[in-house]
Parts: sequence; structure tokens; C-alpha cells
Amino acid sequence: MSALLEVEGLTKRFSGVTAVKDVSFTLGAGEITGVLGPNGAGKTTLFNLLTGFLPSDGGAARFEGKSILGAAPHVIVNRGIARTFQLCRPFHGMTVRENVVVGCLAPRVHAGGGLEQRVAEILGEVGLAHKAEQPVEILPYGDLRRLEIARALATRPQLLLLDEPFAGLGAGEIEPLVQLIRRLHDTQGLTILIIEHKLREFMQLVSRVIAMDFGEVIAIGAPADIVRHPRVIESYIGKGAHAIA
Amino acid sequence: MLTVLIYGAVTSAVLAMLAVGFTLIFGVARILNLAHGAFYALGAYCAYSFTALLKLPLVVSAALAVALVAVFGMAMERVLVRPLRQSSLAVLMITLTVALTVEQVLFVVFGSQSKNVPAFVNFPINVHGVSVDGQRLLALAIAVALIGALWLFIQRTRLGSAILAVSQDPEAAQYMGIPSNRIFTIVMGLSAALAGAAGVISGPFLSVRPTMDQTAMITAFSVVIVGGLGSIPGSILAACIIGYSQTFVAFYLNPEWTGTVSLVAILLTLVLRPSGLMGRVVNA
Amino acid sequence: MGKRNMVGAGVLLGLLVALPPLLHNHYLTGVFIVCAIDGIWAASWDFFSGLTGRENFGHALFIGGGAYAAAFLNGNFGLNPWFSIPAGIAVAVVFGLLVGFPTLRLKGPYFALATLASAAIMQQVAINLWQYTGGSEGIYGLDTLIDSSLGSYYLVLAILVATVVVLSLIARSRWGTIMRAIKGDETACQAAGINVTFYKIASLAVSAAFAGLGGVLFAHYQQAVTPDDFDVFLSISVIIMAYVGGIGTIWGAACGGILLNLMLELMRGLGEYRLWVYYVILMVVLFFMREGFVAPLWRRLRGGNA
Repeated sequence: MSALLEVEGLTKRFSGVTAVKDVSFTLGAGEITGVLGPNGAGKTTLFNLLTGFLPSDGGAARFEGKSILGAAPHVIVNRGIARTFQLCRPFHGMTVRENVVVGCLAPRVHAGGGLEQRVAEILGEVGLAHKAEQPVEILPYGDLRRLEIARALATRPQLLLLDEPFAGLGAGEIEPLVQLIRRLHDTQGLTILIIEHKLREFMQLVSRVIAMDFGEVIAIGAPADIVRHPRVIESYIGKGAHAIA
Repeated sequence: MLTVLIYGAVTSAVLAMLAVGFTLIFGVARILNLAHGAFYALGAYCAYSFTALLKLPLVVSAALAVALVAVFGMAMERVLVRPLRQSSLAVLMITLTVALTVEQVLFVVFGSQSKNVPAFVNFPINVHGVSVDGQRLLALAIAVALIGALWLFIQRTRLGSAILAVSQDPEAAQYMGIPSNRIFTIVMGLSAALAGAAGVISGPFLSVRPTMDQTAMITAFSVVIVGGLGSIPGSILAACIIGYSQTFVAFYLNPEWTGTVSLVAILLTLVLRPSGLMGRVVNA
Repeated sequence: MGKRNMVGAGVLLGLLVALPPLLHNHYLTGVFIVCAIDGIWAASWDFFSGLTGRENFGHALFIGGGAYAAAFLNGNFGLNPWFSIPAGIAVAVVFGLLVGFPTLRLKGPYFALATLASAAIMQQVAINLWQYTGGSEGIYGLDTLIDSSLGSYYLVLAILVATVVVLSLIARSRWGTIMRAIKGDETACQAAGINVTFYKIASLAVSAAFAGLGGVLFAHYQQAVTPDDFDVFLSISVIIMAYVGGIGTIWGAACGGILLNLMLELMRGLGEYRLWVYYVILMVVLFFMREGFVAPLWRRLRGGNA
């Protein structure tokens, strides 16, 4: 499996605090990988660095062999990397359908005449077709999460970065979303990188975990191994515990 | 040279008074008060009316003028601004409307000719061989005193702490029992009082005409932007920079271009370093 | 466009076309000309600021730019006044780009202040460089585009209609959707692969172009330009017109422009006090008619379906 994304020694400092320190990992095409770590571990900062929302202070990141550091966010999207946000960011004042339309207007998509059809397809995929004309202001949070994903999908990404997609969801809403993500992966061959706290759902989805703490990668491996890794446990609970999950 | 230094100090001091008030209400309530220049104009015109028309003693006139402007400011905040707070555009518009209305009223009531406001200190004072008009030195002294008093007030009193709390997080402050809305009104009163006082003390040596609010507004803007919106120390520093720049330009180049100094300062700052010298980051 | 909308537009247009010749009053025709120009200015402002939500407080910069371009070409160099139109548009667009590049990345109030300052600087420049610009007096003695006042009116009216149509078409196109997405959440827009900076600058340039066109028309109507063409009062009036008409609707803003100027004229009898009344009315609109006056009124009259 060829490496879709290669990250080497990526670093980011914020006046005295090193939020991301010398992070290295690779993602193979078609994998679902998770990023695990307590609050403040640098996970979202990592996403922001990879998607052009923050400039880096060192290191390298290559997507399909070409560097993505220093590029503007919209340029990176048009190379094939899409992301969702930790706190949903829908376009206010517009309907669900219009939100997805915007994603289809990215140059990469070349939607042309097939725009309406493509939007309908995507809304169908995420299960929001029946709410297409609703203004986003009245959507429940679970649907907003789906909308985030729909909008990211609209840009025809090869790599999808999901930032805590289950955060804020109730028990009944999480499972369908897990199914959705799995289905998208299986049917579209998407490579997915997920940040998440909620371990149980996480474990069901990912084949590999990158564990972070204090900005550094402390372990990379299969989910079952990671939850027993002493340093990972320590980062969540403190010294002396035996397992998290 | 000494003349320039002293005149520069006076200009900077008056500018600082204007700027500090403007930055204060923005820092605390996030209100860009485009009527701030109008407060300045009102201060000058009230002082004029009380001394020249009502023949009240100078000190009484001054105090009354400042008080009146403060009340006007608080009333404006309470009645016109507070209901519109959710929309920053609406607040900008309403304060601008107030400014334009005040300008019109002054124009209609007092006419467009400059007025002569009697000075408190009529004689020149000799500073190291340079003869400076006393009123200007008084202005300098009062500006320093008032700003110093404001600083002490904010740092040392309970109300001052409340103001600081509200400026950091109005909602959180409310949870702690601080009436944010009332604080906004009080701060507006303070801001207006400072602007009004600036008008009162500089009236005698700067031109008093209905459009004075515009020049004051633009210069106050420039100081506040260069210093960083919301930062009082930034405003004071920027006031000195711009005050002295204006004085140099007036003395050594061409007095007509002093207005342009502030405008260029605004644009340069916004383009090069939008947060100003000491403000917070402001990119979209 | 719905059938009821077309009827409404038709009636309005019919009135605008028929009234001036019926009134047969040179002065009133002049009033209508200014109304239409105000409409062009308001519509052009609304196109950018109403759709993207970034309030431009220096629209007069583009207006004055167009006006002074006309004054230089026609007044100083004696060129045929029709050349002013492309020249004025070009100058306004250049101003739009010059101002847009550095300022569009600034947040709300800072963008407003930067645009305010830009127009104010230009005003100072126009006053200070009196050898070229005529200083506070300005430049006068410009030719009219069409000699008959009724003819001038129809020209301006036609341009107003074209402005509203073109801008509305853009607003309803994919470009317009992107602009509204920028208003909704700029960061999310970037994350959707849209080059936000490009669209902001391009939209501002379009807004500037039409404002400059209006400026040219105004210059050749007044047959003079002064630094007041850059004044903050003009910028604010334009915003108020758009507000009254209904922000984001474009046709509403145009109506707001026409309406406000008519109102100002009707109040001429009040002499010095009419500006006071104007301001009070504005305050009332700001407080009680947040969505504006014209557009919501039309929706109510037309009834039912959105």
C-alpha cells in the first residue's frame, strides 16, 4: 500500500508552548487511522497544520508525494484533503442543500451541469435528503455533524480528516454515524484520519491508532495494543493504571 | 525645538484623552462609538455656552459641561445602543447617526462660524526660555491628571475591577453578580466625560465649529488603531507618536497636511499590523 | 422571477418611466435623476456588503473615483464625456483592488474602519493637491452626457435597471452562493475548497465598478465634482439607503436609494430642519425595521409564498 500522506518531524510553537513536537507518521491509502490523546495533546493543531489553517515551524508533510505545508487551506482541499471541524461550522443563513452546493463549487469538483444531481447524491449518502430545504439554524446537532461530513464529501476528497465527529452526540446518534463513516470508507475507498475521545466507537472504526500527548507522538499501533500501552494510559489516567478500555 | 517638544506634548495629551475614552468603551463593551467626536464637540460648545452666554464662572462651566456630556453619553448608550447590541453594524450606524445629528444641531443653533471660548489661563508661561500659552500647559496638566485618575480608578477600586472583568468576558462577569449592562453604561459615561473634558480644555486654543467632531473622530481613530483597539497603554503611546508626528508636520512641513498624518497612520497600521502596537489579533 | 414580482417590477418601472414627462418640471426631473443614481450606488453597495456581510464604510471612495476620473478627462482634457464611463469604471475598480487586497482579511469593524479611512484619505488628497484637483472647490464646467434633462434621466434609469439586473443575476448565480457562504462562515468556506480572498476581492471590484459608473453619471449631471464626492456622509447615506430598502436584496437597496432621495426632496420645505427629520427617521428604521422597509413591505403586499 502506497503512503498517501507522509508526515516527518512536524512542529508548531505558540509563543513558548510547543503544541506539536516533531510528529511523524504515514497514512496508507484506504486506511482508517485514529488520533488519540487527552485534551491539549495537539490533535486539532495537527489537523490545522495539515489543512493549511496554521503555518508550521518545522518538519515536512507530503500528500501524494508533494508537500502541502505553506499552502492555503483552499489549495489543500483542491489537492484532495477535506476536513470537518470540532465545533460544527455550517453556513448560516443557508439551507442544508446550499451548504453542500458550496462544497461542490470547489474547482476540483468541476461540477458543471451535474451539480444538482451530485448534491442530491451526497445528501442521500449522509441521510439528509429529506431535510435538504431546511435552514441549518434549526438542525439538531446530530444532523449538523452529518452536514459537516456531507460538505467535506462534496469536495471529492481522497483523504478525510474528521475532528471529533462524535463529540456532543447522544448515545442513539453515535452508532448511525459510525455506520455512515464505515460505509463511506467501504464504498468510496476514502482514507480517513479521525480524532476522537470516545474510545468504544473509535475502536470499532480504526485499524491503527496514533497516540499523542503534549504534542508528541507517544505510540503508533493496533488499537488493542495502544490501549494497553503504559505511556498512553499514563497520559489519560496517570501512572499506575493498567488499561483504559 | 523646545517649542515643538512642548506643543507636541500638549497635542499628544489631548489626543490621549480622546483616544483613551474611545478605546475604553471598545475594550469593555465592544462598541465602536462613532459619536465620540460629538462628545468632544459638545464639551467645547457647552463650555462656550455656559461661559460666554450664561456668564457662569469658568470652573463651574467646565464641570457642568463635562457632567452634561457624560449624562448625554450614558443616555445614548442606554436608550439607543443597548437595544441594538447584537448587530455591530446597527451600533455603528446609530452612533454615526447621533454624531451627524449632533453636528446638525450645533450647526443650526450656533451657526458655522468658529466660536471663541474664553481660556482659563490667559497669560503665557515661560518654560526654559520658551513662551507657551498657559491654557495649553493647563490642558497638558489636566489630561495627565485625568488619565492618571482613570488608571488608578480602574486598578484600585471595586468598580474598576468590575469593569476589567466585564471587558474580559461580559457573560462570565454576569454569572458572578456583576451587572454588565450597567457597567457598559457607566463606562460610556466615563468615556464621554473624558471626551467632553478634552473639548472643554482645548476649546480655547483649537477651533470650535460644528465640524470639529469629524477631525477629532478621525484623529482619535488613528491613535486608537495605531495603539491597538482596547489597550489604554497602547492609546497613550500612540497618542504621543501621532501627536508628535502632527506637530512636526505642522512646524516643519505644511500645516494643511496634519489631517493626512492620522489617516495615513490608520491605513499603514491596518495594512502592516492590524492589531496595532498593543492590541489583540484581528484577522478574519 | 415570480409572476407577482414581475408585476410589481413592471408597475414600479412604469411609474419611473412615466412620471417625469408627466410632471413636466425640469427641477423635478433632476430630482429623479439623483434618485436613480442613488439607486445605482445603493445597489452596488448592497451587492458586496449585503451579500458577504462585510460592511464597506467607504463606498464614496469608488463614487468619487469615478466622478474625478470624469472630471479629469472631460473637465481638464476636454475629452468627449462618453469616454468618462469606461475611465470612471476603471478607476473605481483599481481603487477597489487597491483597498481590497490589504483590508479584506480584516475582521468586521476593522474592515469598516479601513474602508472609512481610505475614503477619508482620498478626500484629503483631493483637497490638498489643489493644483490638479481644484482643491475644495473641485472641478466644474463638465459637459452633460445628454443635453436634454429628460434624456439624461432615461439614460440613468436604463443604467439603473441594467445595474440591478446584472447584480441580481450574479447574486443568484454560483458566485452569489459563494458570497453568501462567505457571510455564513469564512473559515468553513475555505475548508470547502473556495478561494475566499479571490471572491471577496472580485466582488468588491464589481461593487466598485458600478459605484464608479454612478459617480461618472453624477459628475456629468452636476457638471462638477468636489471633494464631497468622497465624503463619509455620502458613504453613510448609501448604507442607510440599502438598509431602508432591505439589505441583501439588491433591488430593495435600489428602491431605498430612490425612496430616500425623494423623501429628502419632499422635506425641502423644512429648510434647515430636514436633515434632523432624516436622521430621526433613520433611527426609527434602525430600531423597528431591522430587515429594512421596502423589501419586507413588498413581501407583505405580495402575500404568501416566500
